[in-house]
Amino acid sequence: MSVRSGRRIFWAVSLFLFLAGMVLSLLTGPVMTTPADLVRFLRAPDPVHAAIFVDLRLARAVLAFLVGAALALSGAILQGYFRNPMADPFVVGVSSGASLGAVTATLLGFEAAAFGFSGPGLFAFVSGLAIVSLVYVLSLRRGGFKVETLLLTGIAAGSLASALTSFLLFMRSDSYDRAVFWLLGSFQLAEWSQAAAIAPWVALGLAGSIWLARDMDLLALGDETAQALGSPVRRVRKVFLALSALLASLGVAVSGIIGFVGLVVPHWVRLLIGPSHRRLFAASALAGGTFLLYCDLLARNLLPAELPIGVITAAVGAPFFLYLLHKKR
Amino acid sequence: MSGPAAGRSFAGPAVLAAFCLLLASVSAAAAQDVRDDLGRPFPLPAETPRRIVSMAPNITEILFALGLGGRVVGVTRFCDHPPETASIRRIGGLVDPNVEVIRSLDPDLVIAFRGNPLRLVERVRRLGLPVFVLDIGEGLDGLGRLVERLGRVTRTEGRAAEIAASLRARLEAVDAALGGIETRPKAFVLLYGQGLWTCGGASYVNDLIARAGGANVAAAMPKKWILYKRERIIKDDPDVVFILARSRADFEAGRERLVRMPGLAGVEAVRAGRIYEIDENAASRFGPRLVDVLARMAALLHPERFGGPA
Repeated sequence: MSVRSGRRIFWAVSLFLFLAGMVLSLLTGPVMTTPADLVRFLRAPDPVHAAIFVDLRLARAVLAFLVGAALALSGAILQGYFRNPMADPFVVGVSSGASLGAVTATLLGFEAAAFGFSGPGLFAFVSGLAIVSLVYVLSLRRGGFKVETLLLTGIAAGSLASALTSFLLFMRSDSYDRAVFWLLGSFQLAEWSQAAAIAPWVALGLAGSIWLARDMDLLALGDETAQALGSPVRRVRKVFLALSALLASLGVAVSGIIGFVGLVVPHWVRLLIGPSHRRLFAASALAGGTFLLYCDLLARNLLPAELPIGVITAAVGAPFFLYLLHKKR
Repeated sequence: MSGPAAGRSFAGPAVLAAFCLLLASVSAAAAQDVRDDLGRPFPLPAETPRRIVSMAPNITEILFALGLGGRVVGVTRFCDHPPETASIRRIGGLVDPNVEVIRSLDPDLVIAFRGNPLRLVERVRRLGLPVFVLDIGEGLDGLGRLVERLGRVTRTEGRAAEIAASLRARLEAVDAALGGIETRPKAFVLLYGQGLWTCGGASYVNDLIARAGGANVAAAMPKKWILYKRERIIKDDPDVVFILARSRADFEAGRERLVRMPGLAGVEAVRAGRIYEIDENAASRFGPRLVDVLARMAALLHPERFGGPA
């Protein structure tokens, strides 16, 4: 099998899985619905089925796809950025920073919405960006930086943010459902307004990263070589860091912390279609969105009560990641 | 005066009159609006809703008391009183009600209570369903008001007024029996199960004990539920322990656990054997049965006032 036909198969299978996942999302839920119900609804819409199919299930599926795409793309960018397949939004501290912002806003009572985001959403975004900038500045030394320093700084800053989040949640023991939401993630409250709010940003992030994909390819050769080959390394690095922070914060803002998507999906995609970043970014977005779509299907249908989606992604993602690690050795 | 000018001078008052009429009709409509406990205007239905979803057990209980049991189409998995609730569709729990199930029931009234996550309640409302949120304070005096509010929004004001009046009369009877008490026995409340969970000053159980002529040892803690420390119980030395239990067996297990704890043998309630069972099902819900719990607690704290031995 040639590399090219392998890629074709990847795209065909991903697209098929994506479409099948959307249909399954429409048909399954706590209220029994059959394909016949869906067809009947499409011919003659009624308010109850409109709410169930369109406002609840479709909105949720679209939001899960967008968040999955954002997280996987953020992970793909960070793995290229650090030339390290272990990097992802959690390692760099973005996700923990974003959740700290969200929880702070919740406890201070900033619930009002602006630009389609809730108060906690805006705080998540701002603090996610702040923590990654802080990490960037702290690890930047005399015009250059060591990747190890950056990763370790990210882990330290992320741990501090997580500790503060836990402290805040512990202080307010009556906000249990919120704690679960922010720490383990959920699409239970998904709405079209959220999907509409993040869709343009996800699209922008995808377009921006594909546009700069060649520079990312050059970074893989080392900063000096990339510079020598004409890539404005410092500027490219700044843009990619901001893009990855933006994408991860978007995910945390609407659905809490969802782990392993940014770590596993790009890894897995790279194995299937190769290291070229232009393809890797686009494929990670599609595969990440599809992956989270199926995880959410499990989260809402596995048990009578909903599971936090972070439980599913960890259960699926962590063993797979361990397998990858083991195979490498 | 020319024609058009005269016309204008005639039209002026007419427009004004029409505007006043409009204003009057608007304010008449506004009079039919009530506000829920989040302060949001709620258009009062002209008649009793036919399909009601209750998002909390105490709400379900009061709806049945109002004679609306047959119109309740959705309840939480905790709604088990009265027994007729068993056959009604479950919408999930108090903190995890399912929005999709609620919508599928096509209700014309959804009643939420504090404890329901606000964001979920808002999600239901944004699906276009009429949601009425109730959050009466933690005091027992709020019971009558809760029943009246529910009666108002379900247009069963008459029945609600009767129930509220009877609740108030029973509360007053307990107050009267306890008039001029000289001592307030110290009481410790224990929730059955693991750990020393008790009720702090922010809980209506605290109000219940105070109203029953006792003093909650954990009253100074400004929380609803707290995990208490054994040393504190020894220091507080309560005269009475109330164990909230779902069954006789739960109560016995809770009592055994307590009396066997090292250091608690010297506590007054344990020495005097004043450890009593309280129906958890009735005591953990802000509903009409709290008055029964109050009467029982009052009789246990002040037997001399209720015909028992002094």
